[in-house]
Parts: sequence; structure tokens; C-alpha cells
Amino acid sequence: MSMPLTLLWTLPLLGAVVCAFMGKRAKYAALAFSAAFLGAALAITWVARSTAALAVVTELGPVWAYGISYRLSADSLSLGLIALTALLNLICVASSWKLDVSAGYWACFMALASALTGVFLARDLFFFYVFWEATLIPMFFIIGLWGSSNRMHAALKFFLFTFSGSVFMLLALLALVSAHHRVTGVWTWDLALLDSTTLGAAAPLVFWGLVLGFAVKIPMVPLHTWLPDAHTEAPAAGSVMLAGIMLKMGVYGLLRIALPLFPVLSWEALPILGGLAALSTIYGAFCAMAQTDLKRMIAYSSIAHLGFCLLGVLSRTSQGLVGGSLQLLNHGLTTGALFLMVGFIYERAHKRGLADFGDLASRAPYLAFFFGFSTLASIGLPGLNGFVGEFMSLSGALAALPVLAFLGLVGVTLAAAYALPAFQAVFWAPEGPGSVSAKVTDLDFRERGVLWTLSALMLWIGLAPNAWLAWLEPSLRGLVR
Amino acid sequence: MMLPLGPQAVLATGVLGSLSLGLMRRPPPLALRALAVASVAAAMFIAAWTTAGPLDSSIVLSDSKSLGWQYLIYLGALPMALALDGEDDVLVALFLGSLLGMSLLASAANLPMLFIALEFMSLPAYLLVARSRPGTRGLEAAIKYFFAGGVAGALFLLGLSLYYADTRSLAASTGLTPLGQAGATLMAAAALFKIGAFPLNWWLPDVYEAAAPEVSGFLSTAMKAAGVLFLMRLCELAPQASFAVSLPAIGALTALVGSVMALRQESLQRLFAYSSISNAGLLILGVGAWAASGRSGDGVSAILFFLGAYAFMSNGTFAFIRYSGLSTRTQLKGRGAAMPAAAAAFTILLFALGGIPPTGGFIAKLLLLWRAVDAGMLWPASIGALSALISLSYYLGMTRELWFEAPAEGPAPESGRGAALVIACAAGVLLLGAAPWLMSSLGGALAP
Repeated sequence: MSMPLTLLWTLPLLGAVVCAFMGKRAKYAALAFSAAFLGAALAITWVARSTAALAVVTELGPVWAYGISYRLSADSLSLGLIALTALLNLICVASSWKLDVSAGYWACFMALASALTGVFLARDLFFFYVFWEATLIPMFFIIGLWGSSNRMHAALKFFLFTFSGSVFMLLALLALVSAHHRVTGVWTWDLALLDSTTLGAAAPLVFWGLVLGFAVKIPMVPLHTWLPDAHTEAPAAGSVMLAGIMLKMGVYGLLRIALPLFPVLSWEALPILGGLAALSTIYGAFCAMAQTDLKRMIAYSSIAHLGFCLLGVLSRTSQGLVGGSLQLLNHGLTTGALFLMVGFIYERAHKRGLADFGDLASRAPYLAFFFGFSTLASIGLPGLNGFVGEFMSLSGALAALPVLAFLGLVGVTLAAAYALPAFQAVFWAPEGPGSVSAKVTDLDFRERGVLWTLSALMLWIGLAPNAWLAWLEPSLRGLVR
Repeated sequence: MMLPLGPQAVLATGVLGSLSLGLMRRPPPLALRALAVASVAAAMFIAAWTTAGPLDSSIVLSDSKSLGWQYLIYLGALPMALALDGEDDVLVALFLGSLLGMSLLASAANLPMLFIALEFMSLPAYLLVARSRPGTRGLEAAIKYFFAGGVAGALFLLGLSLYYADTRSLAASTGLTPLGQAGATLMAAAALFKIGAFPLNWWLPDVYEAAAPEVSGFLSTAMKAAGVLFLMRLCELAPQASFAVSLPAIGALTALVGSVMALRQESLQRLFAYSSISNAGLLILGVGAWAASGRSGDGVSAILFFLGAYAFMSNGTFAFIRYSGLSTRTQLKGRGAAMPAAAAAFTILLFALGGIPPTGGFIAKLLLLWRAVDAGMLWPASIGALSALISLSYYLGMTRELWFEAPAEGPAPESGRGAALVIACAAGVLLLGAAPWLMSSLGGALAP
């Protein structure tokens, strides 16, 4: 199974190159390549569904000096996130179809999908880091070139903030690889071979260096300040990719690298990290409550939702790990849908303040339906996907450190307290004096198709979560404490 | 095939050839350009693909290491050869003469030869700066450069005499008394002067700003490589000299000062001058790590890789300045759309300078910092990483001005020729990022 995994990240990259040279017709190439990418991702996921450990491996001996080797592998966690990447990428292309943008726009989205896929596939830490950083470049241009008014500031802040975190991660990785070489005499960047016990007394320093890199990306309070600007200023599709996939990289990094390499240290750090995760859920919710801009509110809600994922993952119980991981996919679907709809509203009215609208439900019933559906999924209504992920994450946290579960429950309550009033203000409240609701026409066929897809997935995970949980579980079994 | 001192012979022929062509009433520009490119390319070819030959000499050597260094120096000089317009035969002769001095430096086997090579490469360079751009600013910068170079030369001679008084030897020698230590330190100061290490960097921004862009590119790559080699030769010739201990600190400080000073620069050439100071700081840090870890081959290959990648990055950015005719950051605003190919290449070079994967600039910085971490120099390495982060804000800032901002009012400066060179440099740096082993497969001595 050597070829298919390489295909997964090179296919969108090829798409990016083709798009860059297609001029005005680039969007057709983007559509074709996104569809092919989704097809390939689903096909490999389907083929690998029954493999015992769900591990598909691609390996190529040492590529260069210092034990750097090209090694890809995919289990259900990787494949789930890659399939989500491919789906959201296709949805981004479809939802941007009528935008008047240059070929670079489509090329950036394809390049972003390629780098993200690489992150989820790489098992050699050198390649992991290269893909990790490579995601920043297309997103920098997506925000800076096609974002809204304050886009340049947001693009620079996004890049510098997350890059600073990654530099600590890189120094930690270098120290880890050097220590391994010093003790064993072997150069390797292979995640499966590296062993943190070679670090000796430096282990805590390296662990926290890694955690810092991941925490900026998640983002964990108090390292979250880049997020509201980046999400608010990015174009709608950019926000979908940012919230849908890029935030997941941080939790994925914890699951894939920090927890397996440092099982003891990460458990000892639970009170601090879990405390910050619980703080994220509450702080994010309070900030979201105070927003007057719909998009900014959803951005802050992402901080809160990622806090739930973290609580589950850090609990290191089976239900917490699986629930937290499922919640990663859930958040990609629900928040992706919400950002898309804010984008649709903004395209029509060029406003997105809560006070700028009223009574949208009667003017745009489809929009109201999908927005309400996604909002309910996002706040964890039983029967929809958010409930499953949050419930399992919190029950995991309850088993590990009960006080964290209690704080998380406060966060769940607060989620309803910001999301429902916002929905009410925009869709049901009578129109205010400056209302621009009249400009908002209802969703067209293309937009509805995109949202039906996402909503169907939300319902499927919500009603029949067992298949999903059983699929994810083998990848996470080794992390249970 | 063995051709000891072959590159030097080729370059000397090139100098004589260009001066001979200058005797004609109207020297043909095409012939002069071809001569410059052919000389550098031939020297590079010989350095890369011939084996080291035995040489019965105590003043020059021709080993694989010397050839590897020469290869890098010619790589840094090739863009300038390609950019010469061939109107001025003296300029061609000066350029090839300076290069000849650098290649002698790479072959010098003892300290007096090192001094001769140092002066040989520096004297033509002063004139190159003055002559490359008409007007008084180039002249002023050249005088400043000449003065700085004179100080460096004097320091070196003084150090050499102290060193000789102590050891009675002009070559490698062990067991230094304080007198010999003082001599070695003075010689190292001369090398640091040439590289532009803090606080001996005051001349550098003025020179790089006043010279023609292609000359600045040449000075920041080939000349910088020669300076680093000079420093490393000193470490080898005086293995017990105590100055090596201070190199990591000097390097980290230089990197930080260069990055911070570049933050507020408006003139592009001045900004890249400070950026080259910052990069020189990382190189000095690398030399310090190499000296501290028993002068390992890993340390040399990290330094060589950095210099090789930097040859593309720095020459490419100066080539863009020359091509676009833009001289300030304000003029960059909104110009990306007017020249998409060259501007995209320039953007790739900026990302590479910022050390962002998947470019060769990332691997270059990674290897150098890693050597420092491996040698236990955690603090200098952290300061080096911090300076790289600071530098990112102006590299990204220029990207922002180029692509995100609206064009400034008024007519845009006319763009010149040489877009292909910018694109070639960007392609080179991408290739080094995707396939870093290419560097080691070219020159035999560059293998890790």
C-alpha cells in the first residue's frame, strides 16, 4: 500500500499547481481536483475500514542524513480528519463558486488541503513539522488577500503567533532527536522509535515545548488571541478551513505526539492542561456572549468547543479519547456550516452584526432552518452529533478529574446562553431601524446542497454514533491510561 | 581528473582576458559578458567535478575541502557574472580579480598567504562598489569600505606579528601563551570585521545600500562565504585560541542586532544589508558550535548548506531589486500584480529567508541551530531562533506590501531586465528544500 497515501497529499498539490496556471478557469480545475481528492480519501478509508489496527503504511528508507525518512501512515483518526479535510475543501470550492477571485484563491485552497493532509499522514517528525508549517503559507494569503477590512493585520498576526509556537515545538523535537542519538547512537525522526526516556532531566522542558506549539494552534486560553481576528477577517471559506481543520491540528498533535511520547508527564500535567481546557470552555463562552458580530461570536465559540475536545482527550479514558476525537470531526461539520452561512449572509448584505438583522426566518426560511439546525448541533442537542462528543468527553473527564467535568458542564450551559439568543436576534426578533434583512435572499440550490450534506452528516453521527465510535476506537486504544 | 589550482588559473586568465579586451577601442559587451560568465562557470565546474590533487607547497593547498568552499564561492558569484552588462571592462576585471582573491583564500595554507588573499579579494571589491554606480554615494561608501577593510587588515597584521612572536610559526601551532592568544584574537577580529559581526558591522549597511544591487548580492554571498571560511581557517590554524569560546555569543548577538535593526528600514537594500548581518550572526554561531564540538564534519556541512542556500536567497532578492527598480518598501506596495512571476519568486525568497518550510532556507536554519543545540549551546540557539522570528515580521511585511496593499500613487519605476535570474534563484531555493541532498551530491567535500 505504498502509492495511495502519497497520492492523498500530492493530488491536491498537483491541483494547486494546475489551478495557478489556469487563469479564469481555475475554479473548474479546483472543483475537479477537490472531487477527486474526496473520492481518493473516501476510497482509502473504505479499503482500510476493516484492517485490524487500521494502519496503512508507506515507507521510503532514509531520505537524507540524520535519519530523516519519508514515512506515512494512516489510522482511523488520520483518515477521519483527512476525509473531513477533503469534504470541507470541496464544500469551500462549491460555496465560493460565484466569487470573483483570481486563480491564486483556488490554488491556495488546494495547497492548504495538501499540507493539512500531510500533517495527518506523516509519521516522521521532520516531515510532520514541514507539513505543519507549510499550512501557514496558503492560509496567510487566503486571509491577507481575500479577507475583509482588517485582513492584513489579521494575516500577519495569525502567521507570527502560530509560527512562534511552532518554533518552540521545533526546538523540542531537535532536543528529542539529539538525545535519542546521544543515548542509542541512532539518528531517527521516526515517531514509533523515538523514546522520551533518553531525555533524562530535560524531558519536562521538551514536553512543555511541544505542548506550547500545539496549544497555540488549538488554541488554548491564554494563547488564543490570534484566533478571533483571523477567523473574523478571513473569507468565509477560509474561516471554514481554519475552524474546521486547522484548529484540529493542535489536538491531533497532542494525540499523536505529546501523549504517546510522554505518557507520565502528560498525566501529571492534567490539572494544569485540563484546567486551562475547562477555562477555555468557560472563557470562550463568555466572550462569545459579549460579541455583537455574528462571525466573531462563532469564532469565540470555537475556543469553547475545542476546550471540550481537550477535556476528553486529556482524561485518557476510553470514552473521553474517543468522544474528544469524534468531537473534532463534529466541530468541523457544525462550525463549518455556521461559518458558511455567515458567509452567505455577508455576501448578500455586506453586514454581519447581530443588530443589523431581524426576522430573517420569514425572509429566508431555508437559511433559518439550516442555521437553527447547526446551532442546535453545536450546543449539543441530543440526537445531533455535538451531544455525543460532548457527553463522552465530559464523562471521560468525570472519571479522570471530576472538577473538570463540572467546569465543562458550566460551559455546556453557557453555550446555549450565547448561541440561542444570537439565533433569536437574527432570525426571529422584529427588524430594528437599521435592518438590512431585506437584502438577504434565501439560499439557492447550490448553497442548499452544500448544507444538506453537512446536516445529514450531523444527523447521522447524532443518531447512529456507534459505528463512528467503534471505527475511531482502535486508533486511540493505546492511549488509554 | 586532477587540476590543482585549476580554478585560480581560469580566473586569472579571465582577468587578463577582460583587460586585454579593454585595449580595443570599443570592447564588445557580449564578449566581456561571455568571458565573465564562462570564467566563473568553468572555475565552478573544476571545483565541483575534479578531485583534489597533491600539491608540493607549504603556502597553498588544493584539498577537497578547499575545492568545496570554492564551489560555494563561485555559486555566490555566478549571479553577478550573469547580471554584468559588459559595458565596462574594468568592472569585469575587478569582479574576477576579487573572486580570484577569494579562491586563493580557500586555498591558503598558512597565515601570510591568508593575509595576501584577504587583501587580494578586498582591494578590487572597494573599487567595485565605487564603480558599480555612478555618483558620489558609491564613492563615499567605497571609501568607508576601504577604511573598514584597512582597519581589518591592520588588525590582522598586528595579530599575526604577536602570534609569530609567540609561536615562531606561520602555520598551525599549539600551546599558546597569552601573547599568542592576543594575536589570534586580533586576527579573529579582522575576520569578524569582514563578515560584519556586531559591533564591527557599522560599515556594512552603507556599502550594501550604495553599491549596485548585483554587487551587494556578490558581497553578501561570495564575500561572506570567504569571510566565514577565513574565520574557520583561523580556528584550525590556532586550535587552542580562546576567541572561539566567544563566537556563539557574538553570533547570537549579531543575529539579534541585525534582525532588530532591519525592522525599521525603509530602503530595501539597507534592509537586506541588515538581514545579511543577521544571517552572518547565525553563521558565526554555527562556526562557534563547530569549533566547540571538535570541528566535526557535521558542523562544516551545516555551515556550507547555509551558505549555499543563502547564495540563492540573497542574490535572488538583490536581483529582484535590480529587476524591479524598486528601492523602498513604500514602492513595493501593490506591485505584485504588475509583475506576477518575478514578484512570486521574490515572495518565495522572502519565505526562504524567514526560514519557512518547504524551502532550502528552512533546512539551512534548522541545520545551523541544530548544531548549536547539539553542542549544548541552548541560549545562543534560542536567541538565534528569536532573531529568526523577529526577521519574519519584515519578510512577511514585505509580502504584505507587495500583494495585499493597494498600489501607491504616482508612476511606478520602470522594471529592468533579469526576471529570469530571480525566478532561477527561487527555483533553486525550493529545490534545496525539496531535495537537500542535492547540495552534497555536487561538491565532494559538502557531504555530511
